[in-house]
Amino acid sequence: MAVHIRKNSVPLFSIISSLADNKQAIGRHYASWCNGAPALEASVAAAAMAQDELGHARTLYPLLEDFVQAQNQPQQIVPATRTLRYHLAVLDDPPCGWFDFVALNFLIDTAFTTFFEAAQDSTYEPLRQRARKILQEEHIHFIHAEGWVRRLAKTGGAVRANLEVALRKVWTETLCWFGPADDHCMLQLHHEGIINASPDTLRNRYFDKIMPTLSALQIAVPVTFNGEAKNWELTCELPWPLWDAEARRLRGS
Amino acid sequence: MYCDEILGCIDMSNQEERENTKRREALNETRVWQVYARSQYEEPLHEIGNVMADDEALARVYARSIYDEYSWVEMMMVPREAIVTIIAS
Repeated sequence: MAVHIRKNSVPLFSIISSLADNKQAIGRHYASWCNGAPALEASVAAAAMAQDELGHARTLYPLLEDFVQAQNQPQQIVPATRTLRYHLAVLDDPPCGWFDFVALNFLIDTAFTTFFEAAQDSTYEPLRQRARKILQEEHIHFIHAEGWVRRLAKTGGAVRANLEVALRKVWTETLCWFGPADDHCMLQLHHEGIINASPDTLRNRYFDKIMPTLSALQIAVPVTFNGEAKNWELTCELPWPLWDAEARRLRGS
Repeated sequence: MYCDEILGCIDMSNQEERENTKRREALNETRVWQVYARSQYEEPLHEIGNVMADDEALARVYARSIYDEYSWVEMMMVPREAIVTIIAS
């Protein structure tokens, strides 16, 4: 009789739980704008992206069943019965305006894409396979996000101001998701070859994706370009005392 | 005084409505792109519809999202203003 050998890895179980919950929340928030976007085309794009994100979540949750950590709480690995909420605190509520939708699309969605890019050659095969498929779809999400950030910023006036407020609302916690420099979880994954970057490197790669757009549009964020090191650097401290390392979200947000 | 307050509220409400209208108009798309595609290499490209977007990158996303009923082997789009009429209907 074949014996199912479960994997024993707290860091990997924790990260997959967080990714699945965040994808599920993002998908539901995208779906809430299927009939409320400024244009019909944007509504259809929101519906398509919602379908993608919910699909990503559906491929991630079943991986939890393979872990020893799921044995004592089987109800937590099925979305319908899961009570734990390991998504970002800013995703607790749906976007209340199109500007919030765009901020979610541009900043939060892209942060998780950065993680999956680091998992394309993962030593954990199920994650490697899923990362490659997810990235094919996330490419379109980023084009959509970037296009709308450009569109809203160039409109100027109150439209641009509202966009900047929406981006600031999600900025800090999104950066925190990669973890502090000594994040045990992410460092362990890096050490085992499950991802190919440390928390700080992931954050730098994330800046490489978003900062060209934000910089070109002169949207003020606490990041500067270090010409010598040729990378973007954060110029403010992140609120690590408020960081819930298990749930990967800020407390009291 | 009471009438002045009411008129003040109405005026502020009208002003808010004008601001909201300006924001809505600012986000209205004005550029039309004609979308062409084919589902087999033996077929010629044919028009399947259009999308509205002022931004080219957004137009590409919209075309892919809206016209996804077939597994197209090729899809292109052309801004409507680039089309030259030879025989007008």
